[in-house]
Amino acid sequence: MAVVLDKSHRWRVVAAHLGLICFIALIMFPFLMILLISLRPGNFSTGDLIPSQISLEHWKLVLGIPYQAADGRLVEPEFPVLLWLWNSIKVAALSGLIGLLLSTTCAYAFARMRFAFKAQLINSLMLVQMFPTVLALVAIYAIFDQIGGYVPWLGLDTHGGLILAYTGGIALHIWTIKGYFDTIPVEIEEAAKVDGATPFQAFRYVLLPMAVPILMVVFLLAFIQGVNEYPIASVLLKQQDQLTIAVGIKMFLYEQKYFWGDFAAAAILSGLPISIVFLLAQRWMTSGLTAGGVKG
Amino acid sequence: MSDVVLRGIRKSFGDIETLHGIDLDIKDGEFVVFVGPSGCGKSTLLRTIAGLEDITSGDLHIGGERCNDTPPAKRGVAMVFQSYALYPHMTVAENMAFGLKLAGVSKEEMKQAVDRAARILQIEHLLERKPKALSGGQRQRVAIGRAIVRKPNVFLFDEPLSNLDAALRVQMRIEITKLHRELNTTMVYVTHDQVEAMTLADRIVVLNAGNVEQVGSPLELYHHPRNLFVAGFIGSPKMNFVEGKLAAIGANHATVQLADGSMVTAAVDASAGQVGGKVTLGIRPEHFEFSASGNTISGQLIAVEHLGEATICYLQVPGASEHLVVRADAEHEAKPGETLSVRLPETRCYLFNEAGLAFQRVKNS
Ligand SMILES: Nc1ncnc2c1ncn2[C@@H]1O[C@H](COP(=O)(O)OP(=O)(O)O)[C@@H](O)[C@H]1O
Ligand SMILES: [Mg+2]
Repeated sequence: MAVVLDKSHRWRVVAAHLGLICFIALIMFPFLMILLISLRPGNFSTGDLIPSQISLEHWKLVLGIPYQAADGRLVEPEFPVLLWLWNSIKVAALSGLIGLLLSTTCAYAFARMRFAFKAQLINSLMLVQMFPTVLALVAIYAIFDQIGGYVPWLGLDTHGGLILAYTGGIALHIWTIKGYFDTIPVEIEEAAKVDGATPFQAFRYVLLPMAVPILMVVFLLAFIQGVNEYPIASVLLKQQDQLTIAVGIKMFLYEQKYFWGDFAAAAILSGLPISIVFLLAQRWMTSGLTAGGVKG
Repeated sequence: MSDVVLRGIRKSFGDIETLHGIDLDIKDGEFVVFVGPSGCGKSTLLRTIAGLEDITSGDLHIGGERCNDTPPAKRGVAMVFQSYALYPHMTVAENMAFGLKLAGVSKEEMKQAVDRAARILQIEHLLERKPKALSGGQRQRVAIGRAIVRKPNVFLFDEPLSNLDAALRVQMRIEITKLHRELNTTMVYVTHDQVEAMTLADRIVVLNAGNVEQVGSPLELYHHPRNLFVAGFIGSPKMNFVEGKLAAIGANHATVQLADGSMVTAAVDASAGQVGGKVTLGIRPEHFEFSASGNTISGQLIAVEHLGEATICYLQVPGASEHLVVRADAEHEAKPGETLSVRLPETRCYLFNEAGLAFQRVKNS
């Protein structure tokens, strides 16, 4: 920063920082509350902001470790939370990857190829996606019930079926990736074609490497969506050991009793894979990857 | 090495036809320049040769083979784009080696070819950089290097120098000429700049609105333009045109009556003309003479520009659609407002009929 700055600039920087700190505090507060609830003994949603006593009972339960309750009896974990977590990761990662594969190729077709009804097709994709999932739940249930009759591993109560259902929701991803492809000058791929590349090679070696940041963003969004999704998973999955964590976590909230502490610990756990995937993906999400290719 | 033959090439985008039947023979090892105003279809023509646009009708032969339906990769051509179109995620070396890598050439050979091209273009110190860390001129060299490395049969250049500053453009022009001499490969070069065309070309193809206006060597086009368009396009500053009427015709001269009544004689074969027919007289700014008498045209001096090596005078003359541009000596001392008479040497005059076609000039050598 070699630019000459006004005196008042310093105050503006301070004010901006204060504003940002307030904003972050606002966002972090609910998270801290959940964290505290998960560390407080007993299952209460409210209590002291600073707990007088830290207890790992909820975390032990969630991680599948029996613990000694205050009255001396051994409490066995009731639910396979870690299995649910694994289910979630599996479903989210696979549906993210398959969705990415489909939406990238689809976006390529929409961005670079010429075919009839292109504009109508891509617009109808968007419109169909706007239809609220919840309204289609019955239909989705019926469809997968039918599919299960022919292909058991894609039917109800299977992860295959859930992944298939999630993969159906890629219209928005297609739009996102197509938008990015549109910003990449066609000449760069044309240069590759003159250089001896087949259309697929031009796509694979030239377009795709330039699109890595947006692909990472899309995968991340799909992954988060997969971990958090509730309505479809709650309809398609019934057996306890098949549930994803978003559905399974509801089990801590009975009609008569809410196990807020266990719920909070499991909720934080479900956020873990998202954070890890985000941190991993971040190094690929660099900007300026396409800079310098053509004269601006 | 190959020749390129175009026969009746037409190209339409939807309902709009951009190229209206181009016939052209490009010889093996020749440097051919397509020149024409912006939007006349130069790039489109080049891209049909490269295979980046399909041909609506007509035949394209490269090296004796019909290539209409051959994909770009198999035509043995290399192209340098106006926007450079480098691969931004690859280093300079990788950019240049990309074509060879696709062709499955060994690492050893690849490195040799890249090093050789880098040496020719003096970009050896840039090989490990990414394109974004290069200047415009350096990127241009890399783009040319990428073309050289593949040892193509035909080089295609689409306005490669138009993004460079004037000094660099001159330097690169010389290097491209040198490159052509060294490689001796067929080169097709597109530009809208007639100076580039004149300096680089073995033969120039003047295009206008999707048609070939004239094909010929630079001097042929300069001395014997076929029509008004070519005459106006080749040469800088551009040729002056004055309207008039044919007063007398002959096999080696024509007398033209100008709007102000004065008579000017041009050494052209006007036997095909008609006395009284409308004609356009053409003369280049550098061909006026100031020595007094005979065959003169006079007008009011509007402005004078001193360029240092020459003086450019702008004359208002009746019947001329624009100002007459006259190139005079550096020491010329006319003042704006004065009336100036300049002589038109007969053998330097051009004459065009009403349709814009040139009367054959009498060859004096
Ligand atoms: N892909 C395209 N679709 C429709 N029209 C095009 C396309 N490419 C070029 N044209 C039209 O063809 C004409 C010639 O363009 P071009 O060959 O780029 O001219 P230039 O001589 O400046 O290189 C222009 O009028 C342009 O609008
Ligand atoms: Mg062009």
